[in-house]
Amino acid sequence: MKTATNLSELFEKLDDLKSVFRYGEKLIPVIQGLVDFMRDTVPLLENINSSISESTSKIPKATNQIHNITSATELATTEILDIIDVISNDISVAEEAISSLIKIEKEKEEILLEIKSLTENNLEVAALFERYEKVTKANPVLSPLTELFGKIRSNVYNITLSLQVQDITAQQLAAVNHLIESVQEKLSSLVIDFEVTNVSVLDSTAIQVPLNTTFDPNARYSKSLDQQDTADALVKDHQSRTSQDEIDKLFS
Amino acid sequence: MDLKFLIVDDSMTMRRIVINSLRNLGYDNFVEAGDGKEALDKLAVDSGINFIITDWNMPVVSGLELIKAIRSDQKVAHLPVLMVTTRGIKEDIIEALKAKVNNYIVKPFTPHILKEKIEQILAIAS
Repeated sequence: MKTATNLSELFEKLDDLKSVFRYGEKLIPVIQGLVDFMRDTVPLLENINSSISESTSKIPKATNQIHNITSATELATTEILDIIDVISNDISVAEEAISSLIKIEKEKEEILLEIKSLTENNLEVAALFERYEKVTKANPVLSPLTELFGKIRSNVYNITLSLQVQDITAQQLAAVNHLIESVQEKLSSLVIDFEVTNVSVLDSTAIQVPLNTTFDPNARYSKSLDQQDTADALVKDHQSRTSQDEIDKLFS
Repeated sequence: MDLKFLIVDDSMTMRRIVINSLRNLGYDNFVEAGDGKEALDKLAVDSGINFIITDWNMPVVSGLELIKAIRSDQKVAHLPVLMVTTRGIKEDIIEALKAKVNNYIVKPFTPHILKEKIEQILAIAS
């Protein structure tokens, strides 16, 4: 009886084994598919890895170029400011010369008036004076020149003020550099995950950004006074609160 | 009152623009610094400086750190500080006010605003 039971158990086990084999037969193509997929994926991953490595290695060059742009624009702006200084000095010289000429002209006019009073009876001299006054009054030269130079000076100064754009774009470029640096860090970590041996190579391409540099990612060149108005309101509010605090301290 | 300005900005362009504007307003006494640390060094050796105009974003020591350092040093804590910066968002302005900046200008500035802020600071100081 016991032998029959054992045989029955054996056949059951054989059935189980058969099921496992059947299942295995079904599973093998799936595993084979997975292996094929992995085989196809590896070159793809290697491609991605090398692309990321290549991109990462190019990033320091990009940041250097941005640095160069900032330096070049600052240099160009400095040159423009130098030229503006020269123009401003020339305007000052011209304004001084015109001012001297105006003084001389006034003195000349006073002398002529004296001559006129001394030669009142001379009709020819009187006619000449009349002609002289007509010519000088109809063609004023010096006062329009003074106005013109004032206008040039004002325009030149406005150019100077517009050059603030250089500092603002420098802030924007610094912000872009910071973004690029963050992207490089992310890409580097991806490559490191793929291939640990590349760590030293990637470290050597890391961007050297001064640690304590600050920049304004929201810097913008705008003539709108909205932000200045906000600043004014906050300063005013702060000042009034400070004054109140001082008054409160006196009475406490 | 004769004013001797300390102009602090890492941008040479901005320092020149501020100085040009101050010259147009009739001031002619200036000292320059390229960052907050240089500014503190200049303040330590030049007791004639009595007005500071500073940028915020600078290497080594920023404008905000400079103001905090000035306010914590009894020798120079009383000096008026005007901040001229691109930072125009409310949170930044409040941070600067908390650090005890006297007034605040958002770049790009106009000579009119610069004049107004200097006069406001001097009026409160007197």
